[in-house]
Amino acid sequence: MALSMLAQESGSVTSEQIEHLHRRFKQLSQDQLTIRKENFDSIPDLEFNPIRGKIVHAFFDKRNLRQESDGLAEEINFEDFLTIMSYFRPIEMNMDEEQLDRFRKEKLKFLFHMYDSDHDGKITLQEYRNVVEELLSGNPHLEKESARSIADGAMMEAASICVGQMGPDQVYEGITFEDFLKMWQGIDIETKMHVRFLNVDTIAHCY
Amino acid sequence: MDDVTSFPNASSTVFHLSRKVTSVVPESCLLILLGLGLGGIVLAVAKKAEYQLEPNMFFLFLLPPIVLDSGYFMPSRLFFDNIGAILTYAVVGTLWNSFATGTALWGLHRAGLMDPGIEAGLMDFLLFGSLISAVDPVAVLAVFEEVHVNETLFIIVFGESLLNDAVTVVLYKVFNSFVELGPAHIHATDYVKGVASFFLVSLGGTAVGLLFAFLLALITRFTKRVRIIEPLFVFLLAYVAYLAAEMVSLSAILAVTFCGICCKKYVEANISQKSRTTVKYTMKTLASSSETIIFMFLGISAVDTSKWTWDTALVLGTLFFILLFRAVGVVLQTYVLNRFRLIPLDRIDQVVMSYGGLRGAVAFALVILLDREKVKAKDYFVATTIVVVFFTVIVQGLTIKPLVTWLKVKRSDHHKPTLNEELHEHAFDHILAAVEDIVGHHGYHYWRDKWEQFDKKYLSQLLMRKSAYRLRDEIWDVYYKLNIRDAISFVDQGGHVHSAAKLSLPSMPSRTSMSESSVTNLLRESGSGACLDLQVIDTVRSRRDKEDAAMHHVLRGSLYKPRRRYKASYSRHFISPDKQERQDKEIFRQNMKRRLETFKSTKHNVCSSKSKARLKEKGRKKKNISLTKETANGKTHRSVPWQDAAPVLVMVSSEEEESDSSETEKEDDEGIVFVARATDEVLQGKTTPGSLDVCPSPCIIPPSPTLAEKELPWKGDQADLAVYVSSETTKIVPVDMQKAWNQSISSLESIASPPGIESGPQHRRFACPVLEEQPQSASQAMPEQSSCFQFPSHLSKSGRSQSDSSPDGPEQQELQPLMATEEQGRVPPSAEPRWLMFNKAGHL
Repeated sequence: MALSMLAQESGSVTSEQIEHLHRRFKQLSQDQLTIRKENFDSIPDLEFNPIRGKIVHAFFDKRNLRQESDGLAEEINFEDFLTIMSYFRPIEMNMDEEQLDRFRKEKLKFLFHMYDSDHDGKITLQEYRNVVEELLSGNPHLEKESARSIADGAMMEAASICVGQMGPDQVYEGITFEDFLKMWQGIDIETKMHVRFLNVDTIAHCY
Repeated sequence: MDDVTSFPNASSTVFHLSRKVTSVVPESCLLILLGLGLGGIVLAVAKKAEYQLEPNMFFLFLLPPIVLDSGYFMPSRLFFDNIGAILTYAVVGTLWNSFATGTALWGLHRAGLMDPGIEAGLMDFLLFGSLISAVDPVAVLAVFEEVHVNETLFIIVFGESLLNDAVTVVLYKVFNSFVELGPAHIHATDYVKGVASFFLVSLGGTAVGLLFAFLLALITRFTKRVRIIEPLFVFLLAYVAYLAAEMVSLSAILAVTFCGICCKKYVEANISQKSRTTVKYTMKTLASSSETIIFMFLGISAVDTSKWTWDTALVLGTLFFILLFRAVGVVLQTYVLNRFRLIPLDRIDQVVMSYGGLRGAVAFALVILLDREKVKAKDYFVATTIVVVFFTVIVQGLTIKPLVTWLKVKRSDHHKPTLNEELHEHAFDHILAAVEDIVGHHGYHYWRDKWEQFDKKYLSQLLMRKSAYRLRDEIWDVYYKLNIRDAISFVDQGGHVHSAAKLSLPSMPSRTSMSESSVTNLLRESGSGACLDLQVIDTVRSRRDKEDAAMHHVLRGSLYKPRRRYKASYSRHFISPDKQERQDKEIFRQNMKRRLETFKSTKHNVCSSKSKARLKEKGRKKKNISLTKETANGKTHRSVPWQDAAPVLVMVSSEEEESDSSETEKEDDEGIVFVARATDEVLQGKTTPGSLDVCPSPCIIPPSPTLAEKELPWKGDQADLAVYVSSETTKIVPVDMQKAWNQSISSLESIASPPGIESGPQHRRFACPVLEEQPQSASQAMPEQSSCFQFPSHLSKSGRSQSDSSPDGPEQQELQPLMATEEQGRVPPSAEPRWLMFNKAGHL
């Protein structure tokens, strides 16, 4: 029942795909009803992902789970799992402008929440630095300092895009979601942030 | 051959010059028409066609550069992201086109609609269909480069035109041999062989390309001592790949394409900057030369009437069928593809793709290659091919641009890469890969991620220089490029401003011309560095003390020296590639420091940079005002860029002047500006700042300088004050500011001694990137700076000592001498011949 509801809610996800996801969910949770963070550790391919922590975190972020409250969930059930997955839906041909816009915002929000680790609605310099450091952690030859300066540069860039010329003592505290949207103008996130399995019939691929 | 080739190049240059024509008519059209004209002249004079597009010349010399260029500069990420669609169109589409066109033409022939003189069977028509149906990379590139459709559309059409070569070659060879054998002798095994040869030719060609790409990358890893021949290796090995594939009858185009695509990453990392530039420009030059020659010769060869025989039905039929089947093929394939594609190709895309299927020189060369003995209808085919090529290149080439505009096809947006974008893209890649991992679905992202890991672990290690490998990271690359660009533009501006200063005219355009979005500019312009932390303001030492101290650092550390250093590293960077690594690092370090500096959020750091910024602001303002006055128009004040102000710092050269007492004293006035301004702000209870906050920063500059300037007179000579206020203030300062100003003036008048008062927190922009703070042995440093900033040496000295012995106590003592000098210091400015003086002149 929850499944069919979700299927409707998340649009293009077919029941077949949901079944596949459910199988996968059970596999991850070892037949429990919920998944905890530790369950993600069992995915071998994830190990090399430099921003793995952030991604796993996003699965437990209550903001992404469309819940009222803030903070981190201890465990998520299948419904939540599907909710997260629905962020990676592809666009559909028949979407109108308004839907597209909402769709786009949704995806960006997910991304934004990933960056904004302290849930204050702003990506501060420190948070940005953390992300960049993680992103670059795959390359052992780049020092932390470089990562920091890259983040600093990016932040400056962001400030320029979002605020333009800043006033005298104006402080750019961090990237708000509105600023984030501004930065993404012109980049078609909706054409980038999606995963194929949610579009075509999935091959149940398990290991 | 030489004079022949140079000639088309010259004409191509002419076309380049006449932009008006080429904005409407694609260059390829013009070249073909020109070729036609030339061929006509030659024919009229010599009575026979002299020049021909020889297939051998075409395939061995003209085609490789174009293919290599397109392969090497192919946006590989985009290419591989769309590889599915590209392959489908290239293989299935081309097969469909050739068979459908061949069969339909055969049907037409059977129906008796064609000249009965055409002796051709099904095999002949299929052969013709195979050569006429392939989309031509040269033609597509020539037309699409000018149309600027969105990159996905472009890569699909262009990728198809490159990759369909394998299909074309195989079909052409198979049918050619079938025709030669005669229909009677063809066995079932021959068909099987044909199919097998397709895989052999395409995969074999690709393998040859990959092999040579690997070799090439490996070789460039060890060319450190022979930089000069690095570019040679690139061309040589790519060409060898082409020849090798051609020799064993594999798809040479595929070989070169994949060689180019795959080697680029490693080669670019290995070879020096100079070689990179050389490769780039040589490749582009060769490619466009070849393209020019090809189109010219197409035109010239077409007039050779002895080679072709006209048949209206065949020509019209072919034209109709290729257009029809192309459209049908595209629609059908897209329908299937869209079920798998994440970004569906919509109807407009399909129209452009159908219409963009241009035929070109490859078809022509192939048809010329036919053996007249075996293929009886060769002359008819030649005529038809020429017409088809001309039609597609000229008619479709001419109309595709209006069509694209009319259909409102998404155009490509050429924006500079930004750091944020790059970061997010990378985050995306990882997120998507992670999601696929989590879901347990091994899709595209999964394999790309796997490939990247493999590449990082083994391939890059093997194929890249150690030094290059270490810093190999795309994010870092973007950052690096932005930094270099900034540094270069910084130097450029430095030079620019310098000269402008000499002329004592602010050069307005220089500001607008510089790239607004660049990070460094931001730093300079928006003063984000100064703005990151408000709380700093609350940490109050003696401001004056701080400002003076910071002024030293600013002057010393960021203004004069860095410029020189930048210049040095800039030129070194480009002159001696051997030292490049070190230089790169240096540039980085400087840029990084600068950035870090501005971003430091720990209190004391920000504090210093803050005050620095503030001070700098002052300096700038001063300068600005002087410039403004110089130009003597009110409007300048809002647009006077800091760069124009910056020359102040560069003026070290005028050290003799510095010794000049009159000048020194002049500068005293400016030194005092800070105090005065501070006073007024403090007294006003920050009315000024409030109003300033509202303004966008560019507008802010003028008022404050004015204030500052105004205050100079007050310092030196109270009597003058009124005059200044009336004349200058009204001109430049907005109304509310004026009010504030007047208040402050009155308050200032009531105050006896300015030194004790702290400067207001309100100094905006961060003029120049601060490279580093240099702890200075001030006594020697100071004179230089003072010269830069037109400060009297003793003044600056006092400032220095304050900074060194920061306690507030000494400050008072130090200030006394300052005051004294100022009072003495008012000397008529007229004595000064140099530009420095116009500051003064302005006041007075």
